[in-house]
Amino acid sequence: MNAQPNQQTTLSGITRWRFTLVLAVFGCLLGAVLVRLVMLHTVDQPFLFEQGEKRTVREEVQPAMRGMITDRYGKPLAVSTPVVTLWLNPQQVNVQQLPAVAADLGLSRKELTRKVERAATQGRSFLYLKRQVQPELAQQVLKRRIAGIYGDDDFRRFYPAAEITAHTVGIVDIDGKGQEGLELAFDDFLQGSEGSRQVVKDLYGNVIKQLKVNAVPQPGGDLALTLDLRLQYLAYRELKAAVSQHHAKSGSAVLVDARSGDVLALVNQPSYNPNNRASLRAENMRNRAIADLIEPGSTIKPFTVAAALSSGRYFPSSEINTAPGFVRVKNKTIRDHRNYGVLDITGVITKSSNVGVTFLAHQLGAENIWDFFSKAGIGQATVLGFPGEAVGSLPYPEQMDALRLATVSYGYGLSVSPLQLAHAYTSFTQGGCRNPVRLLMNNQPQTKCQRVMPEKVARQVLDMLETVTSKQGTGSRARVAGYRVGGKTGTAHKVGQQGYEDSEYTAVFSGIAPISSPDLVLVVVIDSPQGKEYYGGEVAAPVFSRIMQQALRLRQVAPDDGSVPTLQMAGGPA
Amino acid sequence: MKAGAALLWAVVLISALAQVGVVHGHRTLLQEWQQEDALRVQLLQEHTRLLLEKSTLTAHGRVDQQARKQLNMTEPGKVQVLSQ
Repeated sequence: MNAQPNQQTTLSGITRWRFTLVLAVFGCLLGAVLVRLVMLHTVDQPFLFEQGEKRTVREEVQPAMRGMITDRYGKPLAVSTPVVTLWLNPQQVNVQQLPAVAADLGLSRKELTRKVERAATQGRSFLYLKRQVQPELAQQVLKRRIAGIYGDDDFRRFYPAAEITAHTVGIVDIDGKGQEGLELAFDDFLQGSEGSRQVVKDLYGNVIKQLKVNAVPQPGGDLALTLDLRLQYLAYRELKAAVSQHHAKSGSAVLVDARSGDVLALVNQPSYNPNNRASLRAENMRNRAIADLIEPGSTIKPFTVAAALSSGRYFPSSEINTAPGFVRVKNKTIRDHRNYGVLDITGVITKSSNVGVTFLAHQLGAENIWDFFSKAGIGQATVLGFPGEAVGSLPYPEQMDALRLATVSYGYGLSVSPLQLAHAYTSFTQGGCRNPVRLLMNNQPQTKCQRVMPEKVARQVLDMLETVTSKQGTGSRARVAGYRVGGKTGTAHKVGQQGYEDSEYTAVFSGIAPISSPDLVLVVVIDSPQGKEYYGGEVAAPVFSRIMQQALRLRQVAPDDGSVPTLQMAGGPA
Repeated sequence: MKAGAALLWAVVLISALAQVGVVHGHRTLLQEWQQEDALRVQLLQEHTRLLLEKSTLTAHGRVDQQARKQLNMTEPGKVQVLSQ
């Protein structure tokens, strides 16, 4: 007890101020820490919070799967498949680890290292490693768990039918946006809507926590075309063979269902492979059957004749004197191949007499011809909603003087696309009442048709068209064994820089089969055939025959020319 | 007074434990969902691969070739039509 005063004295000595000093220093340190803490929690808090979020919270976009494009039976024409796009952050990645990645992906080691180093010095934090990688390969790379290498879900478009449907289906770019054809026209419908969510990610890009879902990805809609891939394939094969045989510049074929107006095949040459972007050339990508205009030449004559028959002033047996085989209109001479003398209306079509149709057109007048042609859809948009769809042209009645009227009557001075021509021909097959053409199954067929001519006239013209493929006709090479086939040849001089070229032609054949009960309408256009053969009847008609023969068999259309024996099935209705 | 404080303490403890449990549950579910989603993508990929394979194998041109070359098939020569 008496030791205490001693301690008191020692405390009140040097030790006391020492103690106070140490306490004060610690107090100051504590104060400093407190101030710092308060600073961090109040003044710096928003900045720090933001930076923290930036490093861990990611706004992640989830791509939507693009809809499929199929033919009428659901065969795929364009399909998206999941792939992975690999990218890296040059700031985070260790350059020493790159060679292994380069080896996995088949990239050049040196080039990759150089690219990453350059991007890193430029301060960039994003660099594509490789886009649209097969998922297995991407997993192999990601399993290395190299910091700074990430994989994002992506989709790649494949076109199984490749060049056969390339023009119609079109193509998408690497970002999955439609560039051509229906991929472009129906881009919004096909692409769906992307999803987006907020997630917390670790250094390797693994999602640890999902904070918020802003939108769920909605896959795009599927598009079914009216095309029949089998018919498309055989039309393409025959067209390609003909274009290369005649060394032609290009060619198109359009096959339309004669009853409904559905487009069953639509092919063009030259074509391209949409799966290989490196080989794309703009001039091969044009859908000539829809976007290019041709002067249809003689294939228009059935319409002039149908107009004459519809007027009630002419009958198939009405006679016209085409002698002496030419006629002067204003200061141009319109010629036939030779002097056919007196022809009936059927003969005008069989022989493809320019003089005959000129006479008919002059008798009817420009007003009637224009009215009839525009009802048949010549020079009228087909409204498929296809990008670059050509409208065509038909001069107005007041623009047609005697010469223009004469040329229009045999297919010059007006222009149509091959599809329009095929569509116009369906006027004859649908009892004179034309349905709109259809390329998408999604569109409901319209029930109201456009009356072009009386049903009787349509039948008469069909019978006339059949005479063209007879032995004496210009289109005898369009014949198909077993079937009654009708059609019209056309050979049009091409327009060059100084008016019509003497040696450049467009060979056309437009026809219908079988005549007794039309099922198909086919238009074949061969542009600039080189060599001795250039007439529509020599170049386009054989293609027509080959496509038609196979198409009729595939569609199981019964032969109708009477050469095929028909057996009554036992048990059938009497 | 004392009983009230103890109750509050208990509530705090329970909610804290529940919070831990819920976070854990969330992560487990998220992971599960991510695995399922990965499986979905994988199946989707396989589906499209098979679809493409099928359309390549059944391409009209290929079937045509095989029928002609391997099976020696030709177009029917003599046709007869059966009608009801």
